[in-house]
Amino acid sequence: MTQLQTELQQPGPLEPLAAPTSSRRRIKLPSWLTLMLRNPKAQIGLGILFLFVLFAVIAPFVASASSATNFSYATREPPSWHHLFGTTDQGSDVWAGVVFGARRSLATGFFVAVLATALATTLGITSAYVGGFVDDTISLVTSVVFVIPTIPLLIDITAFLHQRGMTTMILVIGCTLWAFEARILRGQALMMKNRDFILAAKVSGESTRRIILGELMPNMISRIAAAFVLVFYIAILVEAGLEFLGLGDSAKSSWGVSLYWATVNSSVLQGEWWSFLFPGLAIGLTVLALTLVLAGIDEVSNPRLRGLPKNRSVLRLLARRHA
Amino acid sequence: MRWFLRRLAFYVFALWMALTLTFLIPQLMPGSPIGGILQHLSPQQIQQNPGIILTYEKIFGGKNVSLPSAYWQYLQHAAHFNFGISTSNYPTPVSEVIGRTLPWSIALVGIAFCLAFILGTTIGMFAAWRRGGGFDTIFVPLFMALGAFPAYFTALLIVYLFGLRLGWFPIQHAYGTDLTPGFNWTFFSSAIDHGILPALVIVLAFAGGWVLNMRTVMINTISEDYVAMAHAKGLKDRRVMTRYAARNAILPPLNGFAPQFATAVGGVIFVELVFSYPGAGFTLQQAALGKDLPLTQALLLVFAVCPIVAIFIIDLVNLVLDPRIRAS
Repeated sequence: MTQLQTELQQPGPLEPLAAPTSSRRRIKLPSWLTLMLRNPKAQIGLGILFLFVLFAVIAPFVASASSATNFSYATREPPSWHHLFGTTDQGSDVWAGVVFGARRSLATGFFVAVLATALATTLGITSAYVGGFVDDTISLVTSVVFVIPTIPLLIDITAFLHQRGMTTMILVIGCTLWAFEARILRGQALMMKNRDFILAAKVSGESTRRIILGELMPNMISRIAAAFVLVFYIAILVEAGLEFLGLGDSAKSSWGVSLYWATVNSSVLQGEWWSFLFPGLAIGLTVLALTLVLAGIDEVSNPRLRGLPKNRSVLRLLARRHA
Repeated sequence: MRWFLRRLAFYVFALWMALTLTFLIPQLMPGSPIGGILQHLSPQQIQQNPGIILTYEKIFGGKNVSLPSAYWQYLQHAAHFNFGISTSNYPTPVSEVIGRTLPWSIALVGIAFCLAFILGTTIGMFAAWRRGGGFDTIFVPLFMALGAFPAYFTALLIVYLFGLRLGWFPIQHAYGTDLTPGFNWTFFSSAIDHGILPALVIVLAFAGGWVLNMRTVMINTISEDYVAMAHAKGLKDRRVMTRYAARNAILPPLNGFAPQFATAVGGVIFVELVFSYPGAGFTLQQAALGKDLPLTQALLLVFAVCPIVAIFIIDLVNLVLDPRIRAS
């Protein structure tokens, strides 16, 4: 597929950066990143993501930490100037909950993504490169972990756990979310393995470690980045989901916990839309942003998916279809 | 035949892994599972049923049983669908609780998920065929955005809008509380009425993935030579789209059906919770919150087996649709 990509990219007049294949042996990251940063979908996604991270970082300046967990305000206030997002049944500020929740939700998602991507990359590449018995074993385990539903598995594990701190949750979620990416990365590495530059490195006597780290990995970096983004948003969804089910640390503020309290106190049935709408929107927008980044990465690495030229007049479309 | 044997080996292995995993999780966790279970039974309940501790030790392994023999006993018990007694529904056996709740989930997820697949791939097909057209520019971002929101959030929104504000559909439970389940029209219509909103949530949450998947594959398929050939032969546009492009493009999404189904099975827990739907997912959440470990463990097994069954069905469909598999 990568061979196909380079072939397809060469005649493309739009992206001069993608054309030179001679620089393949060096680390591809810069040109790949520049391409991605030019992609409109990725731009929007990264923009939204930046806003969320910004608010998570400056949370103490835009809201007070105590108002997220302190039940000191008038209860069930609709959004107003004093409480931008209203207050909950318990009298805490929804805005503070969302802003401080961003810290916990984003951090958990990020570290899970780091852990799961590391596992997936290691297992996927080892499996493809070593082959034989190792490959069979890893592939079998992967395909089984792949079909066991994550959420029930995590519910079962958390039911047996005695403490559900952030580190525990990161470890547990990270260890269950690697399988699908391990499969994809294995496939990529298999295709890459028999390419000339790897064979050349082998012939010139480079060590396996150096071939994998210095030759194979840099060429798979866009797929690994895609894996990271994918796991990142799945992790945010899964973590918020567990908290929503009441299986997280319900005393801390995070998006999932806000939604949990909104259902426990049956805010929905009482018509208090603000107590679930804003945390839910925060999750949805973050995930949407990451999906856009992912779509951007996909478009950069698969030119066929790239959008049509900007001026899509009806005539042009007709001409295209009958061409 | 060889293909079939390999698949058979996979099912058996996956089933065995699911069993082993459900056995191992309580063993790997800190603390003794038996102690945790007995905490949730009152002294009278234990006195009334002296054999209960032994039953739990046979399933979870206890002080008196070594790990391999506990494992062997667990497998034997699982083969007889004996998972002990649910502590939160004492004295109902776990298998009975599952038998009561699982059909609701299967009906809800089965119907809604297939609808999502059909709707999603159809939209994906049209979107790819008129790429950049009105259909493509409206529906693809719409479903992409819908797919980004967690199912429980969509569920809460739908409960708020259609259940509470507009009052079109009931928002709690699976059938009218004044009805007893039975094979009559009033019960069925009530069950359908209660099922519409949860099903809608599942369709909205999962159709998006199929739209994108089908669209991507279809775009690649359209540029194949045989599609150009079909056009050149002067076949009708619609016929080329359905019989030539979509017929081939459907295979990758179809193969993604089972893993997606595994996700959907997880997602249904949230939907059932929001709608208080008496299915297996809601029961699992309640069991996990109430630390009803025997029930949690058995339900995980059920949830792990569902995608394996789905893979089996998809393999059969694949056999019909993909001549390459039949030939090998």
